[in-house]
Amino acid sequence: MTPVHIAGRGLACSLGLGVEQALASLSQGALNTTQVTLPGAMAGDYPYHAIPFNRSDWNECARELVQRVAAEAGAQQIRDGALLIATSSFDIGAVERGATQMDYQAFADKVAAWLDWSGPVHLVNTACTSSLNALLTAQALLRSGAATDVLVLGIELDNRLTLCGFAALQLLSRTTSKPFGAQRDGLVLGEAVAALWLSTRETGRWRLLGGANVVDGMQPTGAAATAVSEMCRQALSDSGLAAGSIDLIKVQAAGSPGNDEAEAQGLRAAFDIVPPLVSLKAAMGHAMGASGAAEIALLTACLEQDAWPRYSYESDPELGVTLAAAPPKNVNRMMATILGFGGSHATVVVERV
Amino acid sequence: MSTFAIHGRCIATPPPPDWRDQLAQRLGARPRRIGAWAELGLYGALRCMADAGETVLQQDAQIWLGSRRGTHAATAAVLEQLRDDLPMPLAFLQTQPSQLLALLAAQLEWKGHACFVAGGDPQGLLHLAAAQGSDGGILLGWVDDMDGGSTNWLRLRPSAAAAGNLVPLASDKVFSQGHSLLHIDAMGLRGCPAGQANLGESGAG
Repeated sequence: MTPVHIAGRGLACSLGLGVEQALASLSQGALNTTQVTLPGAMAGDYPYHAIPFNRSDWNECARELVQRVAAEAGAQQIRDGALLIATSSFDIGAVERGATQMDYQAFADKVAAWLDWSGPVHLVNTACTSSLNALLTAQALLRSGAATDVLVLGIELDNRLTLCGFAALQLLSRTTSKPFGAQRDGLVLGEAVAALWLSTRETGRWRLLGGANVVDGMQPTGAAATAVSEMCRQALSDSGLAAGSIDLIKVQAAGSPGNDEAEAQGLRAAFDIVPPLVSLKAAMGHAMGASGAAEIALLTACLEQDAWPRYSYESDPELGVTLAAAPPKNVNRMMATILGFGGSHATVVVERV
Repeated sequence: MSTFAIHGRCIATPPPPDWRDQLAQRLGARPRRIGAWAELGLYGALRCMADAGETVLQQDAQIWLGSRRGTHAATAAVLEQLRDDLPMPLAFLQTQPSQLLALLAAQLEWKGHACFVAGGDPQGLLHLAAAQGSDGGILLGWVDDMDGGSTNWLRLRPSAAAAGNLVPLASDKVFSQGHSLLHIDAMGLRGCPAGQANLGESGAG
């Protein structure tokens, strides 16, 4: 099977601009949230992980961030490759401000123009699992020989529709995200722009072995434990690995009372011995469709430099799993999971080269 | 895999005037709490599956869905609500195209890989689906609610038929009558006119 390497990565999130800045903030235990006031009698203030960046104009901000992140990933070398844009919110923030009309193709064309992209461009939207599904599609394109280089670009930037929608569904915490926490009470959303350059031509420190996406229609807004375990089983099969080969799992675990429980239950069913677990949601928020790419970009850097998120709350003993307090030794293969609306349970397996 | 036999199809551009009644008859009741775009998608997908003689989607099949404008109407409605208040929860969910994927999974008693690709064109959708497709084939759909609406679906299964006899097709002919095979590669889209199926393969619809 043709190896698919992660040849480059780029990131902008609440922890900072660039992987190194985000890593430094993470290591210092920084918690960079702002407060957003939502409308209506039932609404109020919610924490939000905003990217620390100039906000004078939504489109200009988006352009600068996309260009910065793509450049960090090395995208300028592969402009004739395939571009997979992963997003659930497109440029809704600009639409809300009256700066543009809703139009998928216009958004794709705009991003391609920002990057001076000449290769094919596709927009993947499977809600929160968008960038993981884009990675799986990228791997398929590379393995089939349809491309030698693919840029997966996750874009989730501020907009009221997403935040208000999650608030209306009562999914948000008013304080902090506590993944697998005893007092967990919801998600904290955030922004991110993240890029992963996948290649069969260039190498990197990590390669993508495989993965799986399982859509379960029984729980259209949440996770199902059986789907989580099926997702793990399929990903292991796709990667040619046994369960004991996984050294670390980056979980979704965003602090949702129900979803965290379902995910924990699914992991216990899939693994006789659950590997060490890590969640980045408390540090950077849940960045919807960009979260998969963003968290892989940050976590691979964490593992290279022995950096680790901090969890300053009590774990829920009822879940039967806990998050690792320190980076495990000798992580060669990790599974990175995102769970999303539409009953989507997606994970990819990444191996250190 | 690059060549697919068409085992079932629904080409409804626009759908018949009584499409909602037809959908209710298939489901046993009118669907509730799903948006108009999702309803249109569900109608077309179920009609396609019926054409293929299937009520349950094969477990190793994949669902690939595309749209030019997706849930734009539901999104516009929610943006209006946001002027004064939080949106209604169901209204927000109806802005998410992935909800149709979940609906299809439930209705077709299926769990597996499903993906929504926004914008682009049907040929691009088929290109992505073909690269990632599996032995169970693909349920491929394109749904839009503008201009009277359109809900076009194909039930595709991998075919070993040779591509040599296939004729070039324009990218917008993925969802069209009159072909029993589709082939996609770096050279573009090709099809086999119905009635001229290659040895060992035949398409339905």
